[in-house]
Amino acid sequence: MARMPREEWYEVARDVDWTLTYVDDEAVFPEWMSGTGKVPREAWSKWEEPYKVTYPEYVATQREKESGAYGVKAALQRSSVFDNLDEGWKSVAKAHFGGVAIVEYTAALGELRMARFGLSPKWRTMSVFGALDEIRHTQLSLFFPHELLAKGDPQYDWAHKAYHTNDWGMIAARATFDGMMIGANVVDVAIQLPFTFETGFTNVQFVALASDALDSGDINFANMISSIQTDEARHSQQGGPTLEILMEHDPKRAQWIVDKTFWASARLFSILTGPGMDYYTPLEHRKQSYKEFMQEWIVDQFLRSIQDYGLKKPWYWQEFLDGLETWHHSLHLGVWFWRPTVWWKPQGGVSKAEREWLSEKYPNFEQQFGPIWDQLIANINNGAMEKTLPETLPWLCNFCHLPVGTAAAPNNPKYPVRSYSLTNNGYTYHFCSKVCRQIWWEDRDTQHQTTVIERLLGGEIQPPTVEGILGWMGLTPETMGDDAYNYRWAADYAPAATNGGTLVQGGAKNG
Amino acid sequence: MAEPQPVPINAMFQDDFVTQLALVLDTDTMDEVATKVAHHVVGRRQPDRGLPMVVKYQGKVVPAATTVAEAGIAPLHNVYVEWGTA
Repeated sequence: MARMPREEWYEVARDVDWTLTYVDDEAVFPEWMSGTGKVPREAWSKWEEPYKVTYPEYVATQREKESGAYGVKAALQRSSVFDNLDEGWKSVAKAHFGGVAIVEYTAALGELRMARFGLSPKWRTMSVFGALDEIRHTQLSLFFPHELLAKGDPQYDWAHKAYHTNDWGMIAARATFDGMMIGANVVDVAIQLPFTFETGFTNVQFVALASDALDSGDINFANMISSIQTDEARHSQQGGPTLEILMEHDPKRAQWIVDKTFWASARLFSILTGPGMDYYTPLEHRKQSYKEFMQEWIVDQFLRSIQDYGLKKPWYWQEFLDGLETWHHSLHLGVWFWRPTVWWKPQGGVSKAEREWLSEKYPNFEQQFGPIWDQLIANINNGAMEKTLPETLPWLCNFCHLPVGTAAAPNNPKYPVRSYSLTNNGYTYHFCSKVCRQIWWEDRDTQHQTTVIERLLGGEIQPPTVEGILGWMGLTPETMGDDAYNYRWAADYAPAATNGGTLVQGGAKNG
Repeated sequence: MAEPQPVPINAMFQDDFVTQLALVLDTDTMDEVATKVAHHVVGRRQPDRGLPMVVKYQGKVVPAATTVAEAGIAPLHNVYVEWGTA
């Protein structure tokens, strides 16, 4: 029997819907899940996906991608490529695996919620493909690091473990992604996840890191994330049609959803991607700074994209631009100082040559962060390692869950290091910025993730000591972070008399 | 006499890059508060300037001998510690 040409059945197949007779529409598509708000029910019939794909076509393409990704992996498994990778670069991959693998599965749940509660059958169909994409990404992001466990590095176990722990970084990630994918109605999910996050920020993580991975020799990682990015580029387009309809009926809501998601994503990426690009990637392999990449992929492209839909720049735009100069430096400093609390080995990245590069890319770097690094370096070179490690916790923002102060910088009069507080119902909350405080206030009914500080003060962490906190976060002596290069970069600064590899144990040595 | 009560505060030390949790007692004087906050910063991320320190609460310097309770500093409140003059 001859097959019906695709164009003859596609339009009908993708638009199959039921006319409900036994139940009300509200029972099947409850408002708290479907979230139509001010958009009339019938307006969703205009939803039109910007790309057309059938299930057989989808499967054929995905099969090809899978063969490619796993084929390269199988070939490299027999090589010594991994053994020769730089330790700093390996930490980029470890941070990525732990921070992203199970979040991909959360995204599958977000897509499935749209596939169930989206108010257009075309949207629901596209979301099924999106969910299959995200399941594939989860599998890739777990399978690729799994083989690295056999290389004797238990930190790769955190690809699977991290999301299920109370590590502070994961609490920050869960707070952001739960709000983006799980807690919101599906109209909000479509604008938060595919539109704001996937059209903008996944580019930073997947395109930028693929490039740095190739330059650093990590072909396997580049191969994996490039394969994932091809799906992201496709299914991210689901957000556009939803946004278009919302803009027609409730532009104020659309603007708010984009604004708050963009800010939350920018804060999170300044720790997930910024340190990897500007500190962990070996200097000779860096093509662009984090700021340059963000300016190209976010500032230029994303801005164009939101303006195409009639959205305005977010109200905090200048503060975000200014933050590209400082946020990730501050967060890198924090991750390095509190290094036992992460599941990777942060590379200090402040040798003399690296600081020169940082100053070239960020003219205020030395003035703002140089004095603190100088003190830390002096402590390393004096063998006072205990003074390079924490005895308390930084205060954490009640919205983004990152340390208060890291949306600012020392010696920065425009954004001084301070806490932005708010007292509500007799309880004092703290925020890293006015923007986090404002978003929290507007959305306070959905903000229930307590910070590590609040859990500590509430008695959830026992004993309430640094060791107790690390254990509560799930870290063990063999997985907690330490300097990637065993502090050898600090030897650049050691006085000549001691610059011969004879410093006290634990301090910096030449070589 | 009542036992001293712990007061967890959100403390910032001059020129540092984050605010931090510091645990003080309601009977601590501002000198003691400054020392407890400085413990987590001075010599770690800031050089010791060898100067006295002052505590600012709600934008004002609190006299060195004033206690936490007398100053009205409550749990979760912000406190700023700065270098004073010799």
